[in-house]
Formats: sequence, structure tokens, C-alpha cells
Amino acid sequence: MGRYALRRLWQLVPTLFGVIVITFILFNVVGGSPATLTLGKNVSPRMLEDFDEQHGFNKPLFFGFWTGTRAYASDRVVPFPPAWRRLPGASVTNGPADRPVLVLEGAGPFEAPVLFALPTNTLYRWTAVCTGTSGATVEAIGPGGALTVSVAVASAGTVPTVFRPRPEPGAGRLVFRPGNGGRIEIQRLILERRMANPFDSQFIHFMSRMARLDFGVSIATGQPVLEMLREGMGPSLALMIPIFTAELLLAVALSLVCAYYRNTAIDRLIVVVSVALMSVNYLVWIVAGQFVFAHKLKWFPLWGFESWRFLLLPWIIGTFSGLGSSVRFYRTIMLDEMYRDYVRTAFAKGLGLRAVLFKHVLKNAMIPIVTNVVMAIPFLYTGSLLLESFFGIPGLGYLSVNALNSLDVDVVRAVVVIGTVLYILANLASDICYALVDPRVRLE
Amino acid sequence: MTPTPAIPAPGRSLWGEAWQRLKARRGIRFCLWILVIYTAAAFFGEAVYWRSRNRDEGPSYQRINMNEAYQRPSVVSHPFARARAELGPAAAWTTVAGEGCRHLFQHPMGTDNLGRDVLQRLTQGARIAFQVGVITSLIAIPIGVILGCLAGYLGGRTDDVIVWLYSTVASMPGLLFILAISMVVGKGLKGVYLGIGLMTWTSLCRLIRAEVMKHKERPYVLAARTLGAGPVRIMFRHILPNVFHIVIIAFSLRFPSAIGTEVFMSFLGIGVQSEPSWGIMISNARLRLWHGMWWEMTFVTLAVFLVVLAFNLVGDALRDALDPRLRAGKR
Repeated sequence: MGRYALRRLWQLVPTLFGVIVITFILFNVVGGSPATLTLGKNVSPRMLEDFDEQHGFNKPLFFGFWTGTRAYASDRVVPFPPAWRRLPGASVTNGPADRPVLVLEGAGPFEAPVLFALPTNTLYRWTAVCTGTSGATVEAIGPGGALTVSVAVASAGTVPTVFRPRPEPGAGRLVFRPGNGGRIEIQRLILERRMANPFDSQFIHFMSRMARLDFGVSIATGQPVLEMLREGMGPSLALMIPIFTAELLLAVALSLVCAYYRNTAIDRLIVVVSVALMSVNYLVWIVAGQFVFAHKLKWFPLWGFESWRFLLLPWIIGTFSGLGSSVRFYRTIMLDEMYRDYVRTAFAKGLGLRAVLFKHVLKNAMIPIVTNVVMAIPFLYTGSLLLESFFGIPGLGYLSVNALNSLDVDVVRAVVVIGTVLYILANLASDICYALVDPRVRLE
Repeated sequence: MTPTPAIPAPGRSLWGEAWQRLKARRGIRFCLWILVIYTAAAFFGEAVYWRSRNRDEGPSYQRINMNEAYQRPSVVSHPFARARAELGPAAAWTTVAGEGCRHLFQHPMGTDNLGRDVLQRLTQGARIAFQVGVITSLIAIPIGVILGCLAGYLGGRTDDVIVWLYSTVASMPGLLFILAISMVVGKGLKGVYLGIGLMTWTSLCRLIRAEVMKHKERPYVLAARTLGAGPVRIMFRHILPNVFHIVIIAFSLRFPSAIGTEVFMSFLGIGVQSEPSWGIMISNARLRLWHGMWWEMTFVTLAVFLVVLAFNLVGDALRDALDPRLRAGKR
């Protein structure tokens, strides 16, 4: 048994890794840095860069020696990137292959703009891909102000010059000199930061944060996310455990009734009613329940979380909204068992329907039921998104909805990751339960 | 005398037989008609949407008309209904003859607080619900089918990787992750499509994989292989048609849940933004319900309920009709 549990535990490692990779891809690769969301729109690029530095968003995603900086944000020339607006005489036209290029005309010199002073303890390098008229040059000037290198730009229509001067601490200056009446067309202009350690990436940073259970700080409240989750767990469990228990007991009882009266009007009625219950939208359950029982009839308090009475209506609504699908699920399990050989044997021995149903069928159906119950436990923790926000229960569901609306990335990520980990653990627990009940599983 | 062998009845295809089974049930026939009506409404909504877009004018379902705000549904407020309540059915017909039926069709389901017709908005809601159902299926079903076929047929490393992928995705809390995806992608329908589409392919993939593994050893596959068919051809030309009923069942069962999720997301404000989705209508109607405006809420609820119920029942019936395993097990 111990070996089986260990083997299953070992099999969880790739799944856990996969979850972390997918979460990382979602939030870091697709989502990008939440700096503008957090700080607002009207902040200097310098502050954004500091935010990225603090939260590790200025590192390469997975691996790399070079990474970008917000001091020169755009690696492609797009019409009017903010950094270029300050360059008098620069304009954007369509260059070769209809890619926009930046055109510098007139004597110049034009200097590649940097939005803020870069730290001098880090190496930066420029890359410029450009063509121009004859006599046009591009030169790099080191931090001391001395000319490092000067290159004549390839003439228009030929293979463009790729100008990449030596990396300088705090980025040297890059100066374009089209010459009198000349012009330079810049296809790409990139400023990159050198990483001291290429493995020092966002992914490693993310993994180490998850390992330390560091889920960051909420944007909206400034509270550590983990603390918020701990506070929200209590109300969520207070809401969900009674719902879950009541629903389970009712559903199993009703499914036994179905099995008892199978293929009669009662069975069919229960099935039809549960499909109908299932088809009522969850929102409608809550809106209508709250309106009728709390607002019109005033049987229950409307909103808040002060005593157990405030939970009564959410409990009832939660139980009934999930009942339909549960009854159908358990009915399928019961009916599956009803056609097994051992049931036929039991009947052949002369046992009554009741004895077969409660002694034999229910016992064997316990395996899928227990699996289902264990797998549902993580969802108790995340609570119910809607019930909690409608009834003002300060649980994790309420927290998540608020976080989604205020784009509080750290909170959403924490809820998702912890929910997934709990689900995986529940999966393991249900497998172990299964193996405890049914020894054949272990040999697989 | 040797008994003459019984001549078997002319064979019918799986699909033909399934269709006969479906048609034989009156309730299912009714549900199919409901679905036809909803589909027509969705197409009509699409036509209205594009017409107003091409003409570059505000669509009629968005037009604000404060003079007509808070009109009760004409099915209860029409002179006919009033006359019937007050004077009896006979007098009611004369009233109708007097006033004409025009008024009855003006706002059969009433108007909302801005004087917009509820029925028109419901039609637009059907359009969005069907878009979500179809597009998320177009994302999720190909992923599930292709990965399932590859894993089941090729086995080995490919199988390991695909099983790892779907067990990873399946172990994420679905709804929360859908919401997170749409938060990252940005508010709007794109987030809804991607969120639902990318999170709901796992169960189909698992089913297809198991079924393909069974079919792989069947004689017809062996025959195809002997004739020199390549793995891609065998997978998608020979095996897939034989397991395609699983796709159909999965489609009919995922459609209502996609609609439910869309309603939920739009209600939360991260789904559809400016179009009248059912979720947005519920969210608006909720506040007005408290002021006694019951009709908007009632009709939206009914609209969602009917289509989801019809899909659930048809999906179940399809599964009974198409899944041979269940058919054999039925006693």
C-alpha cells in the first residue's frame, strides 16, 4: 500500500509541473507585466521599470543573455512609438516588404532616444538595422563621451547594415548622421540589457515564488494574498460544507429511490425534474431565490454575514441548484450496479429488493461515490463565486470575483494555483481511498 | 428439409437508425423543434446585426426610446387580454377586431428601462449564445479529436505527452481558469471563446483516445494497414468516422454548458461588452425586478431555460441512440 501511494505521489510531479508551466504561460507570457495595471497609466517609464525589476518581469521569460528594457520599449518601428516623438524630423513610411521604417532626413545628428538614465552597473547594447544615402554614418559614443566606432550606412536598396556596437555599462549613445541632404532609413532599433546569469529568468523566479508560497500582494487592498486567502477560507467553508453534505445526502437518497422504482413513473419523474433543475441557470436560482424569499417574503436576511441565519438562504439555494446533476450522476451509478452479476445472484438467492439495494448495491456504489466526494473537496475551498457575491459572504468566491473585476492578477493567480494543487491532492487521496477499498487497483 | 435462412432486414446506417430513434420520441421531437426555432432566431439576430452594421446605423435593439420605457408585455397588456379579463372571451374578439392586431406585435415581451424591445434583445442574446456554443466547439473539438486520435493510435511517447497534457488541464479548476484566461486576454467575447475553448477539450480527448485504442486492433484497421494506408489516413479516414458519434454527443452536451458559462461571464461583466447577451440582460433585469418589472427577468430566464433544457434532453437522447455500448446494456 505504501509503495502504491509513493508511486502515485511520484506521478503527480509532472502534473504539478504542467500546472505551473500553464499558469506561468497564462500570466507571464500572455498577460505580461501587470505594471501599467498596478501603477496606472500616467506614470513614468522609470517607475514601470522599477516595478518590473522588483517583481522580476524584466527578466527573460525562460532563458537568455539579453532582455529588453522599458527605456527603449519598441523593437520594431511602429508609427509614432512614444520614444521617437521627441526626435525632430523623424517620420515613418513604408519600407521594403511594406514594413514601416523610420526615416531621418537632414543633417542631424539624431540620437537614439533613451527614456531615462540607465543604471551604470549593467551592460546594455544597441542594435540598429538601417540603410541610407551615401555618406550617412551611424556611430556609437561610449559613456565617457568618446567616439567608440563609426560605420558608414549601406546604401538604400542593398543589404542593410546591422550596427551592433560593443555593450556599454548604462548604454552608450547611438548617433545617426545622415549628412547634408541625406537620409537614413531605420528598419529595426533594439536596446537590450545583459543578464549576469542567463538562467535568472521569469520562469525560475515564478517557480521559486510558488515554492516559497509567496503569492504577492493584492493591488486593491495592499494585503498579502496568502493572508486574504486564509481569512476567506472560513466563510467559504461555512457556506459550502452544509451545501455539499445536504446535496450529497439528498442526491444519494433520491438516486436510491430511482433504483428502487426503476423504469416506473416515479423514476421517470425524478429524472425529468432533475434535468429541469439542471437546466435552470445558476444565476436565476440566486436572483429569483433572493428576490422571492429574502425581498418579497422577508423570510431570510438579504445580505451580509453576521450570524448563521444569513447563511440559511444561500445554503438552500446552493443545495437545490446542484441537486439536478448530482441526482442524475448517482442514479447512473446505482443503475450501473443494478445490472451486475452479483445483484442477479443476490436476487436468485431470494433476497428482497430492499436488502439487495441497501446491503449490496449501496456498498458497491460507495466506491464511485467516495471518489466523487473526495474530488469535490477542493471546490469547497474555492467556495461559490456567485452565491458569495450575491449574499455578501466574505469568502474566497467573493474575493475572486472582486479580484477579477479589479484585474488583481496576484489574487486570481493564487486562487487558481492553490485550487489546482488541492484538486491534484484530492485526486491522489481518492486514488488511495480507491486502492484501500479495492485491492485490485494496486496491482495495475 | 433445411430451413431457409431468414433474410435480414435491409441494413440501416448507425446515423439513420439513431435518427429514427430520436424521431420516435415525441418529447425529443418537440425539443428538436425548439432548437430549430432558436437556431433560426440566432441567424435572424445575425442578419439584423450585420444589416445595421452595413448601413452604419444604431441597431434597433439598442435604440433608446424613453417614451416606450417600462412597457408591459403586450401579451398581458393588450386590449384583448384586458377585455377578456373584464368582459369575457366573446367581447374580447370584438375588441381585437376593433383595435387590430398591430399593437399585439409591437412589444410582445415588453420593453426595458430604456424602451428597448425585450424580444429583439433576446434574439440578439440567442445570436451570442449560439456564437459562443459554436466557436468554443470549433476550438475545443478539433483539439480533443486530433490529440485523442494521435494518443490512441500512435501510443508510446506521444500518448504519454498527450495524457500528461490533458490530465494537467483537467486538474485545473475549470471555471476559475476560464475566468483567468479571459481576464488575461481582455474583456470581451474573445476571452470567452478562448477560455471555454481551451479548457473544455479534455473529456472528449479522453473518450476519443480510449475508443481509438479499441478500434486500433479491429480487423478493418488491420486490413487498411495491410493495403498500405499510412497512420494519418487510418486515423482520420478509417477510425474517426467510426468514433464520430462520440463527437456529436460531446457537442450536444457541451453546448448548453458553454451557454451557461457565457451567461455567467457576461453577468460578471467580463464577457460580452456592448451587445445584449443573456447574461447582461439578467444583470440589468435583476435591478429592475426589485421595482416590479418582472417581464424582462422572466423572459430571459425562460429563454435560457428552454434552450438549455432542449439541448440537455436531445444530448441524452442522442447518447442513448448512438452509443452502442449503452444500447447493449439497456434492459
